[in-house]
Amino acid sequence: MKEHIVASYENELRDLGRKVAEMGGRAERLVADSVAALLKRDTELAERVIVQDKTVDALQREIEEAAIAMIARRQPLATDLRQIVSALRVAGDLERIGDLAKNTAKRALALEGEYRAQKQLRGVEHMSEIAIEQLKSVLDAYSNHDDARALAVWKRDGEIDAIYTSLFRELLTYMMEDPRHITLCTHLLFAAKNIERIGDHATNIAETVHYLVVGEPLSDERPKSDTSSLTKMSVSR
Amino acid sequence: MMSRYSRRLIRNKVWLGLSVGAAAFGLLWLVLILSTLLWNGLAGLNLRVFTEMTPPPGGTGGLLNPIVGSLIMTMLAVAIGTPIGILAGTYMAEYGRYDRITFVIRFINDILLSAPSIIVGLFIYEILVVPMGHFSGFAGALALAVIVIPVVVRTTEDMLLLVPNQMREAASALGAPQWFVISRVAYRAAQAGIVTGVLLAVARISGETAPLLFTALNNQFWSVNLNAPMPSLPVVIFQFALSPYEDWQRLAWTGALIITTAVLSLSVLSRALAAKGVER
Amino acid sequence: MNSISVRAAADNIPSTREKLSIRGLSFFYGESKALNGIDLKLHERQVSALIGPSGCGKSTLLRVLNRIYALYPNQRAEGEVWLDGENILRPEQDLNFLRARIGMVFQKPTPFPMSIYENIAFGVRLYEKLSRAEMDERVERALTRAALWEEAKDRLETSALGLSGGQQQRLCIARTIAVKPEVILLDEPTSALDPISTAKVEDLIDELKRDFTIVIVTHNMQQAARVADRTAFLYLGNLIEEGLTSMMFNNPKDRRTLDYITGRFG
Repeated sequence: MKEHIVASYENELRDLGRKVAEMGGRAERLVADSVAALLKRDTELAERVIVQDKTVDALQREIEEAAIAMIARRQPLATDLRQIVSALRVAGDLERIGDLAKNTAKRALALEGEYRAQKQLRGVEHMSEIAIEQLKSVLDAYSNHDDARALAVWKRDGEIDAIYTSLFRELLTYMMEDPRHITLCTHLLFAAKNIERIGDHATNIAETVHYLVVGEPLSDERPKSDTSSLTKMSVSR
Repeated sequence: MMSRYSRRLIRNKVWLGLSVGAAAFGLLWLVLILSTLLWNGLAGLNLRVFTEMTPPPGGTGGLLNPIVGSLIMTMLAVAIGTPIGILAGTYMAEYGRYDRITFVIRFINDILLSAPSIIVGLFIYEILVVPMGHFSGFAGALALAVIVIPVVVRTTEDMLLLVPNQMREAASALGAPQWFVISRVAYRAAQAGIVTGVLLAVARISGETAPLLFTALNNQFWSVNLNAPMPSLPVVIFQFALSPYEDWQRLAWTGALIITTAVLSLSVLSRALAAKGVER
Repeated sequence: MNSISVRAAADNIPSTREKLSIRGLSFFYGESKALNGIDLKLHERQVSALIGPSGCGKSTLLRVLNRIYALYPNQRAEGEVWLDGENILRPEQDLNFLRARIGMVFQKPTPFPMSIYENIAFGVRLYEKLSRAEMDERVERALTRAALWEEAKDRLETSALGLSGGQQQRLCIARTIAVKPEVILLDEPTSALDPISTAKVEDLIDELKRDFTIVIVTHNMQQAARVADRTAFLYLGNLIEEGLTSMMFNNPKDRRTLDYITGRFG
């Protein structure tokens, strides 16, 4: 792509992209760390995650300021406008992802000393592996303006939702078997929900990437396989 | 470095001094002429000058008939020359602006502009005075008209060319035909300049003597007959100044003062009009 | 997910009837070709913008539409321009009558050296005979539409040259609409004006397009995005792309169009 005649415009756009990339990298690390803290009951790591979330929040504010200033001063059109608006949206999604990771880390702290439920933890681990892959993939798609990759991420969200639904059932069953498991399972439920939400945000970013590249929003309905809200359980003794 | 700078300062001062000196020198002569005129002319200036006719040598009189004669011939010359000049200038600036022939006309016009006026007089003499068999005020007016025309053509064309083309386009864009654009818009915009041109032409011919010598000649008596020799101020001045008679010489000075005053006021008036036009 | 795209003020464009149809138009300044076989349709009661870098031919194209180029020798047009079923480029076309139907406002405000009233009456008197009362009304209506009535109503008999730049340009617009043309051509009408006058003129265009077909040449991309329903991009005498303004400024099909509107041209 040819460069802008005004070099400072070009530099500002590049800067914006760099900030988003940095924010993405940090958010990725936060998610990985928070899940690791949860699985290994590493309280130090969890506390680090909680503190580092602040930098992610700060980056989001910076990106917002820069984007708004550019819109006011440069009056961007077409691809430039989409790029700036996309940066705003992605920063928003990444900030939420950071918050969800922080929340997961808090759960890790809350579970200190609790009994480890190997099977259920494996479910969470599996989910988080996919979520982290999605996030990495979609951030790559964003920096490379890769629409195909974004669409792949978009479609794969169903997988995470399916795992979450089954994990939901499992945890409910486990809780019903033995009331002593309720604390652990409740925290795990929330952590799992966080990870499922991280997957959703990655899908949001995928939709933004598609809009950035193609110029039109995704018209189809997002595939939703999370039917946990419809899960009924009979509570009988 | 310092010496180069101070050398430049000195050179600057020298040139400045020379320019001011030259200007002063020119102005000096102008002041001398005007003061001489005033000194000698005012002495003979009285009401009689404007009410009595030219006297025989030794008698008392005024300059009434040459003044009237000059006025008549000047006005007639302007009446003849101005329409021709304005229309020609209009053609050159409006209709024929991009034609080759306009270039030719302009070239010839510039030559005529600086043609010696005595040639003009001789020309009219040949084509009008000789066939008619006698001198006449009409021939004099015609000779003056030939001098008026190039001046008016030049200023009309220049002033019309100064009117921005966008104004003409704006008028045409409303659907106005070309002659309407010219008369209602271009003329309106250039009118101060065109009037100035006419005034300058009048100033120019007020003092012309040579062409009148061959055409209107002179007349000692009262005459408003265009078909006969007509008196005029410049010629009378010429006649009286060269004479040995003192009272005639005095009248000549007064006449010169009158002409100078008239030309001066016309020039000042045209300057003032031009300035008003520039204000816009 | 809602799309954040630039939508033109009137994406629900009511009429798409063609007012002017340009077919195979080429234009020559002497020997040099300035326009290359342009095909373009301009729609009734819409604002069409012509954009492009300097020297692309947009002003040239505009000036063909009212044949104002005919004032100069060495400028000629080939091709056809159809206005309501008549080819206005044909030799028998009455130029003055054409220009009464297609009005033009120029980049530099050009008030005539007359009073404000006379400026507006000038064009009207060319083709209509109105009584004093009717003319007064026409002048008032034109000035009101041009958002100049309040400022001018107490000085109608004073010279138009005493108005400010922005007021003079609105006077030129009033003068043009007073003769009730069908099409109004605007050649960079606000490039010589301050931002407030520019805003007033843009507001005016929004209102005028209800009754007139408007074609505007502009250097200002954002202005085209604001006022125009359709935009055409010209480059080096060729029509590169044309379409709805919202499409042209969001997602143009041609790379050159994109480069130009985002400021990458050069």
